[in-house]
Amino acid sequence: MSLSPYIPIVGLFALGAGFALFSVAIAPFVGPRRYNRAKLDAYECGIEPTPQPIGGGRFPVKFYLTAMLFIVFDIEIIFLYPWAVSFEALGVFGFVEMVLFIITVFVAYAYVWRRGGLDWD
Amino acid sequence: MTTDIAAETLKLPSLDYAALAPMLILFGVGCVGVLVEAIAPKKARFPVQLVLAVLGIAASLTAIVLAAGTEKVTAAGAVAVDGPGLFLQGSIAVLGLVALLLISERSLERGGAFVAQAAVTANSEADRDQATRGSGATEVYPLIIFSLGGMMLFAAANDLLTMFVALEVFSLPLYLLCAMARRRRLLSQEAALKYFLLGAFASAFFLFGIALVYGYAGRVDFAGIHAAVLDSPNDIALLYIGLAMVAIGLLFKAALAPFHVWTPDVYQGAPTPVTALMAACTKVAAFGGLLRVLYVAFERSQWDYRPVLGAIAVLTMLVGAVLAVTQTDIKRLLAYSSIANAGYVLVGVLAISKAGLASSLFYLVAYGFSVLAAFGIVTLVRDADGEATHLSRWAGLGRRSPLYATLFTFLLLAFAGIPLTSGFTAKFGVFAAAIEADQTWLVIAGVITSAIIAFPYLRVVVMMWLSEPGESTPAVSLPGALTAAAVTIGAAATLLLGIVPQPLLDMTENAAHFVR
Amino acid sequence: MVLLVVPAVGAVTAALVRHDLAGRIAGTVAAAVAFLATLPLPIGRGTRVDTGPALVPWHQVDVAWVPSLDLRFHLGVDGISYPLVVLTALLTLLCCGYTLWRVPDPGRGRLLVALLLIIEVGILGVFLALDLILFFVFFELVLLPMYAVIAGWGGPGRRRAARMFVLYTLLGSVLLLVGLVTVVGAAGTADLVQLTGTRLGTGTQYAAFVLLAIGFAVKSPLWPLHTWLPDAHTEAPTVGSVILAGVLLKMGTYGLLRVAVGVAPDAAQGAAPVLGGFAAAAIIVGGLVCLAQNEVKRLIAYSSVGHMGFVLLGIATLQPVGFQAALVGNVAHGLITGLLFFLAGAVKDRAHTGELAKLGGLRETAPGLSGLLGFAAVASLGLPGLAGFWGEAFAIVAALRTGGAYWNVLGVVAAFGAALAAAYLLRLLRRTTHGPASPAVLALDGPRLSAAELVAWAPLVLLIVALGLLPALVLGPGAAAVDALHGVVGR
Repeated sequence: MSLSPYIPIVGLFALGAGFALFSVAIAPFVGPRRYNRAKLDAYECGIEPTPQPIGGGRFPVKFYLTAMLFIVFDIEIIFLYPWAVSFEALGVFGFVEMVLFIITVFVAYAYVWRRGGLDWD
Repeated sequence: MTTDIAAETLKLPSLDYAALAPMLILFGVGCVGVLVEAIAPKKARFPVQLVLAVLGIAASLTAIVLAAGTEKVTAAGAVAVDGPGLFLQGSIAVLGLVALLLISERSLERGGAFVAQAAVTANSEADRDQATRGSGATEVYPLIIFSLGGMMLFAAANDLLTMFVALEVFSLPLYLLCAMARRRRLLSQEAALKYFLLGAFASAFFLFGIALVYGYAGRVDFAGIHAAVLDSPNDIALLYIGLAMVAIGLLFKAALAPFHVWTPDVYQGAPTPVTALMAACTKVAAFGGLLRVLYVAFERSQWDYRPVLGAIAVLTMLVGAVLAVTQTDIKRLLAYSSIANAGYVLVGVLAISKAGLASSLFYLVAYGFSVLAAFGIVTLVRDADGEATHLSRWAGLGRRSPLYATLFTFLLLAFAGIPLTSGFTAKFGVFAAAIEADQTWLVIAGVITSAIIAFPYLRVVVMMWLSEPGESTPAVSLPGALTAAAVTIGAAATLLLGIVPQPLLDMTENAAHFVR
Repeated sequence: MVLLVVPAVGAVTAALVRHDLAGRIAGTVAAAVAFLATLPLPIGRGTRVDTGPALVPWHQVDVAWVPSLDLRFHLGVDGISYPLVVLTALLTLLCCGYTLWRVPDPGRGRLLVALLLIIEVGILGVFLALDLILFFVFFELVLLPMYAVIAGWGGPGRRRAARMFVLYTLLGSVLLLVGLVTVVGAAGTADLVQLTGTRLGTGTQYAAFVLLAIGFAVKSPLWPLHTWLPDAHTEAPTVGSVILAGVLLKMGTYGLLRVAVGVAPDAAQGAAPVLGGFAAAAIIVGGLVCLAQNEVKRLIAYSSVGHMGFVLLGIATLQPVGFQAALVGNVAHGLITGLLFFLAGAVKDRAHTGELAKLGGLRETAPGLSGLLGFAAVASLGLPGLAGFWGEAFAIVAALRTGGAYWNVLGVVAAFGAALAAAYLLRLLRRTTHGPASPAVLALDGPRLSAAELVAWAPLVLLIVALGLLPALVLGPGAAAVDALHGVVGR
């Protein structure tokens, strides 16, 4: 097997990595340095930063929960795309399978919803 | 363009629904269980879940019985339904049903052995409050059902990928279940975390092993691997490393040394009924998978793996037996005993013969019943702070409650392999199979370790009968009907399989043929 | 077979009956029925045909138990096992009867009776089994109840004693199992009738014989594997000691004769000098140690080591006379030591001490007891006319008849050991029955013998005399079987 088709890809990869490294490395040397208080604060989506103990504080577990729930639906979408693309080929069998798959996801959704997993407080 | 190609090549896999029914039923019941959690009012959940779970397992068992005698590979080669597969599925269902009885016991402790909300910070005010009052979470039922379904699929999986999926399906619920003990929350959470981290590690090995085997054979289904072993032009090292990694994943689940280190901690920390479930059902499933991989896929490289696995078997028996001697906690002691027993099953497995297969199957079932009853009794020995598992607390139990001490003594004797218990028949079976296959060195190691491990058992017996009951000796709680039933079934099976093992032996022998 | 079912049922009843005395009575009745059931066994035994197989049981039961593992429930009785079967049933009956009268601390007599009956089932099973694996099953069955008897009703050092007992016998069992599995694996059958007379390969025979011999030697016990015995005896309750010495030790010698010699005759021939040497050493060591003992039960226990040495010497000669010696010696030792332990127990219960130094002058306060003790001791040292004589005499004769300097020396050593036995037993008598009465003896509880004791001991005394006068009682039924076994060894 010839490796030649991969050479451009490797070149592109090297180029990309080189650019990223270069940007990060060069910034401290050539950039202007004007500090103010806002720059030293943690960035929290524009919200007033909450004071946190040294060494990082604890996040409420709710953030993790939300992230987990996001993954459930995220993965569902990933499965839906290829099915949508080859819907014709997969036919009725694919449709039934997909419905079953969505039902199982909705079982989880119903559980989370009813048990208050979607409530923030 | 792409759609056209797909239209030409896509062939619908043929699904034999009757053969898949046992697993489909369980997964369906699991989903319904989750819905019940979502919809049913809080008070109704426990009875509904219990009935649902029992009916589900019973229906699944019925489907298995109806499918008896089937020998086919279905679902595009992903699932093999054959004698050993159905036997293992049946064992998982029956043992799971008995374990379910232990899990559902709510008269020993208000609200059962499980915590209401596992996420509450351990040892906080809210946690102490829910330990004494809260009704246990009923989510355990869907989790157990999913886990049992995964185990069944694991025992019937006919390619490495399906096997991996099944492995995860039965492992993830178990990780969660481990964390749900009502008492000693920190210990329970630690157990779950250890189990999860090490389990994830083992899964990674398994997956990497699959990749390497695929690299060698170009296939992941067992028949394909079987054909490729010895015939493939690829580097044989790929196969060896791949097999070794796949084996590590399986050995971890079966708790074989040196991949056993999680067992004592997890068995100790998990809620005792869950420990019973793990010791009985997970062991069956893990060995089911191991048997299929070794017998179906890699049969032709048996000369390569046999000595290695033989050394592992000897090491496992030694580690289990020797470390059991030093234990001071009854659950840890039983954990090490289960490690040693896994070693004995591996001796049977390594016979690589029909007799070896049959005797391993028998051993798994016999041990499963005994260990369920043993952990059932452990749940009974308790005081105000929950179960009293430290061995010193068991001193003089024979005086306080002769009936349970007698039962426990009997079960320990079964573990020790004393004649007229199922332990003897089972050990005799695997040893006979190993001798027939010229693996005498395994048998010698097995016999010596059996003698060693008899001492910790006897120590417990001595403790129970000869020590005076101390201040701290707890009274044995009167079991509820469910625990009583589970202990009775387990002990009765231990006795019956010791005296009239023939029917089950016949079943294992009739079942002992893998489809490829 | 009725023999096994009756005591088993008795054990269950005795354990289940709520009332203690009723339980004990039920157990005793079961033991009596079992004993009566042993008596008609010789009726209907066939006349031996010379061309038949080497082991012809008089009666047998042969049922498939676990066909797929090749386990059979094969029981049978013949001339070698029959005397031991009767002895077992008799001693169990006497012990059960004895517990009717007196229950050792801490009470719960019905449990004790139940355990005794389970032990009886096990021992009878060992003697009757004609299937090697079944033999092992029964062999193991005995271990645990005996452990429970020592550990539950024993003296102050019972824990250590019980642990020693289990340690040793478990080790023995493991070796035994490996040996049996070797034989079964090599021969493809576990049936003793078929195995006795088939010649296995020499290597297999040696491996099997060594394993089996060590396994049985622990049980017998043969010097130097005997160290569990004195502790177990000293601490066990009276009935436990009686069963232990009377019949349990016989499982070892019986196994050696029936299984080890029967299955591996060539290896037995090769190993005979070694076995004989150990046996002679056991006789001497047992005698010397006895001379230094200060405790009644310990002394009797060590005397067992010596006596079993004679039995083993008889087996080691591989002569018909030697086998006969082993048979008679087994039975005689069971009767005599059983009686001795009963008496020692009675003395200990009354005087609350077993120290020889604190006993003395028993003749003054309890003439009946001391008279019986004298009788038993004299029987034990092998006075002609009493049971003990024949076993020892035959063993020495067999050793001398085997010929060669080595065996002659062994014979002489054994004879010297017999003299040692006389020395230590007479010392025992002198210390306990003669001399001025010690404080402990003066304070004896109830110096007179009770009726129950007399009833329990009378059969033993009578049988000791009868066997002494008519050794043919044992030799008669055993002769044919012994000849057959000797034919197998072919020497």
